[in-house]
Amino acid sequence: MLVSFENIIDENINEKVMTLQQVFKREHFEGFIETVPAYNSLTVFYDVAIIKRRYQIEITAFDFVKLFTEDLILQLNRGIVSKPAAIIIPVYYNGEDLDSVAQQHQLTTAEVVAIHTAKPYRVFMIGFLPGFAYMGKVDERIATPRHAAPRTNVKAGSVGIAGLQTGIYPLHSPGGWQLIGQTPLKIFDIHKNEPCLLKAGDSVQFVAISKADFERLNEY
Amino acid sequence: MSIKIIKPGVLSTLQDAGRYGHRSIGVGSGGAMDIFAMQVANYLCGNDEKQAVIEMNFPAPEILFQQDAVISLAGADFAATINESNVPVWRTLFVKKDAVLKFKQPLSGAKLYLAVNGGWQVQQWLNSYSTHLKLASGGHYGRALQKDDIVNCSANKFSFEENKILSWQISAYQLEEIYRPQNSIRCIKSAEYDLLDDSSKQNLLQNNFIISNQSDRMGFRLMGNTLSLKQSTELISSAVDAGIVQLLPDGNCIILMADHQTTGGYPRIASVIKADLPKLAQLHPGKAIHFKMITIKEAEDALISMCEALAEIKYSCEHSLKKYLQY
Repeated sequence: MLVSFENIIDENINEKVMTLQQVFKREHFEGFIETVPAYNSLTVFYDVAIIKRRYQIEITAFDFVKLFTEDLILQLNRGIVSKPAAIIIPVYYNGEDLDSVAQQHQLTTAEVVAIHTAKPYRVFMIGFLPGFAYMGKVDERIATPRHAAPRTNVKAGSVGIAGLQTGIYPLHSPGGWQLIGQTPLKIFDIHKNEPCLLKAGDSVQFVAISKADFERLNEY
Repeated sequence: MSIKIIKPGVLSTLQDAGRYGHRSIGVGSGGAMDIFAMQVANYLCGNDEKQAVIEMNFPAPEILFQQDAVISLAGADFAATINESNVPVWRTLFVKKDAVLKFKQPLSGAKLYLAVNGGWQVQQWLNSYSTHLKLASGGHYGRALQKDDIVNCSANKFSFEENKILSWQISAYQLEEIYRPQNSIRCIKSAEYDLLDDSSKQNLLQNNFIISNQSDRMGFRLMGNTLSLKQSTELISSAVDAGIVQLLPDGNCIILMADHQTTGGYPRIASVIKADLPKLAQLHPGKAIHFKMITIKEAEDALISMCEALAEIKYSCEHSLKKYLQY
């Protein structure tokens, strides 16, 4: 079931999504599977058979989950303000598209880097690939549309811009984002108990590092 | 305590019921394309529904049994033979050490499941044996089976003298309930259904769509009349699920299948009901499908019926197996 909030990309709307997700973690029904937060929506996955068996309801499991969720949304206003985790991501700004992004905006590459690292970004959602964090919003001065023809292979760790969004490719993958740098950190590691470094709602601060630091820190 | 792959098939992978609770970090559920056949395969050889099975496509692998084993085949019919004798699908099979399992031709269906008593001993990742190909994780080293691979299973606990097909089987009626009529796929409206223009709403239900060659475990691309929206809309990405029918920018549709991405930004016009995903999974590229729109209530009732059928099959398998196996 998809719970949609106002149809815009906005930190406050996303905060509502994250709060509702927190409420679901604390309070849910039997047959609840998981929730997936996105920019302006929370999707609730549930097991129809378990709900029907456990609650012996006449209404559909869908309506049951809908009523349950509406009840939780009423509680949202009572507010639980969670402090987002702040995560520092070092980036060696050497991306293949850094020069062209700078040129398109009549900036120097140093200015692009300064603007990209000037403020923390919110992780609005994770999707597309395991661990791919959609972050924003990027300063209008460096916002750049994605490539019309995606690259067939983007290296894991690549940091990119797509419109007002910024993100990191956690795996080697095809991709159309404007690549401006490379992080030495593994964003997604199947060998860890918590494989994903980031989650929706986190705050990410990029920090520029040198080539030497990149090589020293490189986890790939 | 193992089998050996003599010849590899096309994308034979270890799968189970799927990996849940990790979609919020972009890890989808994956799992068997045909969840019904996967569970029945397990029940037929005395397992619960959580054990790993081998999902096979045609050409399917040639497999050498390096020990005695109680196995089962469920799903597609690839004209299986054991030591050159025909063996049926949807049955329990006793297989002696050194037996060779081969598949001659694709008679019906697309996905065939091979289960073994005790389950295949493969890698679990995030509580699932399902193979995550992109992350190379879970199942058999996170990849499809290759020539000379050895897949372990538990020691065989049962004694029998020769290869044998047990006499009881899954009822044809139960299988028809799941898999027939073959090309009629039931769906419900999805989030952006109302963005379709009126003639597209009609086209969706009145015309056949052909499953294209560009179909895989991530999704089935459909060919047919193109559909369009009342007005072009830029959607904000959100979560998607298996069965969702997305409208691509070129007007064609894709049905998301087991290995789909966790989020998407294309309009979701319909959603194939869970109870019809097994049927859909068994269709090859080139086959035509016809969508039938039903209500959420009907969709839930269909799913409950499938769960009840599975519970019945589980019960009767346990009882029938007891006659042959002491446990």
